[in-house]
Amino acid sequence: MNWLTGALAVLEKDVRLELRTRYAINTLLLFVISALLVVAIAVKNEPLSPSLRSVLLWVVILFSAIAGLSHAFVSEEERGTVLLLQLNAKPSSVLAGKLLFNLMLTFALNSVAALAFWVVIGFQEVDSATLIVILALGAIGLSGATTLLSAIIAKAVNRGPLFAVLSFPILVPLLLSVVNGTRSAIEGAGLDTVTSEVFTLIGYAGVLITASTLLFDYIWKD
Amino acid sequence: MKTRTEALLKSLIVLWMTAVVLAGFLLDIPRISILEHTARNLYFHVPLWFALMAAFLVSAWYSAKFLSTEDLDYDVRASHAAMVGMAFGILGLVTGMVWARFTWYVGTNKWWNNDPKQVMAAVQLMIYGAYFVLRSSFDHNAKRARVSAVYNLFAAATVPFLLYVLPRQFQSLHPGAEGNPAFDEVTDPVMRLVFYPAIMGFIALFWWIYSQRVRLTLLERRLENE
Repeated sequence: MNWLTGALAVLEKDVRLELRTRYAINTLLLFVISALLVVAIAVKNEPLSPSLRSVLLWVVILFSAIAGLSHAFVSEEERGTVLLLQLNAKPSSVLAGKLLFNLMLTFALNSVAALAFWVVIGFQEVDSATLIVILALGAIGLSGATTLLSAIIAKAVNRGPLFAVLSFPILVPLLLSVVNGTRSAIEGAGLDTVTSEVFTLIGYAGVLITASTLLFDYIWKD
Repeated sequence: MKTRTEALLKSLIVLWMTAVVLAGFLLDIPRISILEHTARNLYFHVPLWFALMAAFLVSAWYSAKFLSTEDLDYDVRASHAAMVGMAFGILGLVTGMVWARFTWYVGTNKWWNNDPKQVMAAVQLMIYGAYFVLRSSFDHNAKRARVSAVYNLFAAATVPFLLYVLPRQFQSLHPGAEGNPAFDEVTDPVMRLVFYPAIMGFIALFWWIYSQRVRLTLLERRLENE
């Protein structure tokens, strides 16, 4: 079995299992929607500046991602299917499959978060192209950073809080770039104003995904 | 023989640091308005950062070495470098906060101002904090070593982005930042006389504490195995 078919097989398996229980996607979406509603209720009808709105949006996305994305490898450990996966697929295929699955989840998360934000708080004169690019790159960065961390915490004992503790410092550069980019988008600025953020986000995702592939073998083998 | 050189080095570091502290407080320095005598903090605050940076490099280096050799001694080295580095980092952060509070932000009551270097240090300390929490959640030595080495290197990969992103998004009053004169334009020769030895002294102090802790842990391990 070559690398790509292996990766796609892992992805297909995860998607099928997910569709059966819809655990990860439901947690993520419910978390993001309830968090946004809580924020909207707490904010009441105060006018929010663009930077404050972009911070609120990303803090909600960040917390939802941390609540839902650890599922990828933890679920294998909980079901006791790690050994099966180790025997049947190459480590790099497993990582790629899980990364693709997390990518689908973060894309769904970011789209729903932006939509819900638009409904309950509002963007006003937003430049949608810029917003979509930043949201997409943010999703790639989020999944690139959290997939390896999910594999790390799957080996540990108290998983839930640990995932948050490990993720926050690593997500700081991502958070700063996306908040800045989203603020420009909400202010109605075009894509050319966020080139620095776009390149930072591409580089961030690239470096973390490369680092993940290099380091994953050490986690995966027991 | 080895212990004798180490004892000699220890006394040398103690003498050196004593001289640095004495010279730091006693030598006359030019008075700059606002800064006044707080300028002496340069001898302590900045070298503490150099020590944290040295610790960061040592820790990442030994994490990588551990992954390539699976030798548990390297894991001991990586974790102690992080531990001692964290202590130096906290001291560096606190000396910086106090210094800034009573010079740059006097009258504003601000202790935290998101200076790029401050954020950078805080994130690095968060990484080490997470690293130790991760370590404490394993009881199997080899597994803990492998997983924490992976996390240490993974986190180190994000540091260049911080170095790139932070100065573009936060304003800095640090010397050398935009609109501020760089270090060597403002510093009097008298201050350099203490500053450079202080950097060497603090890095040596880091190295000494770190190597003693490593020695202790390795001895403990050996006793356990006997």
